[in-house]
Amino acid sequence: MLDAKTKNWSYEDVRSLLAKRKGWDRVPKKFKIVTDTTDFFQVEYNDVLILADRLYWIRSYEREGRFGLDDEPKFWVRRAIDLEDGSTKILKMVFHEKFETKIGGVVTRCFRSPKKEGRILDLVANHRNFMHGHWVIDSAGNNVRIIDYIPGRQFHEIVVKYGGDHEDYFFNFFPQVLDQFIELVEAIKFLHDHGEKHGDIRRDHILYDSARKVNRWIDFDYNYMHGESKWSFDLLGLGNLIIFFVGRGDVLVPDLYKTQRELFDSLWGEDLNISYKNRVANLQKIYAYIPDSLNRILLHFSNGAQIFYENTEQMLGDLALAKADVSALTGRGS
Amino acid sequence: MTEQTLTDHARGDAERHLLLAVDGSENSKRAAMYVADFFGKDQDVYVTIFSIIPEPSEDYFATDEERTSWVGKKQGEMNDILAGYKDILLSAGFKENQIDVRLIVRQCESIGDAIIEEQAKLLSRIVIVGRRGISHNEEFVFGSTSSRILHHAKNCAVMVIE
Repeated sequence: MLDAKTKNWSYEDVRSLLAKRKGWDRVPKKFKIVTDTTDFFQVEYNDVLILADRLYWIRSYEREGRFGLDDEPKFWVRRAIDLEDGSTKILKMVFHEKFETKIGGVVTRCFRSPKKEGRILDLVANHRNFMHGHWVIDSAGNNVRIIDYIPGRQFHEIVVKYGGDHEDYFFNFFPQVLDQFIELVEAIKFLHDHGEKHGDIRRDHILYDSARKVNRWIDFDYNYMHGESKWSFDLLGLGNLIIFFVGRGDVLVPDLYKTQRELFDSLWGEDLNISYKNRVANLQKIYAYIPDSLNRILLHFSNGAQIFYENTEQMLGDLALAKADVSALTGRGS
Repeated sequence: MTEQTLTDHARGDAERHLLLAVDGSENSKRAAMYVADFFGKDQDVYVTIFSIIPEPSEDYFATDEERTSWVGKKQGEMNDILAGYKDILLSAGFKENQIDVRLIVRQCESIGDAIIEEQAKLLSRIVIVGRRGISHNEEFVFGSTSSRILHHAKNCAVMVIE
């Protein structure tokens, strides 16, 4: 963390720096110089934000699919150009959002915490499976996180395009996907071992970094009021991910009813996902070649589950067994 | 309670010392009523009514003042509830010197584990908790304190009151 104000920048200083970096023809006619991000709605396109004596040229705001709405704008998260080195950054301003979410009929209180995300950015600075960045305090005392832009797509978008059909996917691509998933679970274990939750584990929070050829967790500013089990919400997220990756997408009950009635008839309530009742968790009933050891992991997240994972270590132990069986079955992987 | 009196209490009452672990819920009240009904006439039974306020992470609050205020409010509410549970025991025949009330604010990953630690410190022979009767999904998301105690407590009996 650096001191917020070390130099007074004049409007002409900033214009000159913009011109030096982007050329005079791209210097906007009107823009504001902002040092206080309290009202993030006032930070607009073309404005220049000064944080710890470094200048950021504000571009578009980021979007996120959530609550069933695609591309919800996140006005507190802005893309920007670092005018010192020209790199693209994601600036996350303070938004103390509090809300309740309902998973599997259970209401959980969630919080958005800049302090938590800043703390984790420090923790994972040298970990390849997380987004990187640092945090600074603006002139009004707000914690602004400055994130390095990650080139690439969401990992799940890549996975669903693998293979001509599920069998082709499972035998030829899934072993590699499983390895990548295990690496992602190990990264979450790293957080838990340091007492931190990710807080918002879902598939659009994994980016495949096309430059570094590695998956990276993003957006860990959420926290939740946990009960007896501190890690359960993160584990639930990991469960939904492995069900998605094994199924090469969500296997939806309404789709089976319309197109594969005999499979639909074979399903019981206990076979469904504990948090999303329209998704199948017991995928071995759909794809019989899924080995028992892998399917047992999925069943931990089914409606019929009697035992739950308490931590990532337990899940990783089962994943190692499944990996061995998948490898033996497909002839792929180590 | 100081460390000294805590140790004395543990040593002196170890044989028939109950740890009644409670929160503000109806099931905790039922547990208190059960203890009152079952042990109220026993003059050699000692009860520690115990509650934990899990210290919330700084992440949940915008400022430290907000956090301190939240903890203070919770302590006030819980002290009132604990006084109510003590009255239930007194009205059933317990004497003042048979009851201790203990409220702590601490960080804990698991309330169940914190209760088990307290049992080990006090050397109480029975841990008594109420059961919330939570749904399958709730147990999945939040876990169950009574299940945790049932599975992990050592050197003591566990009573789970429905």
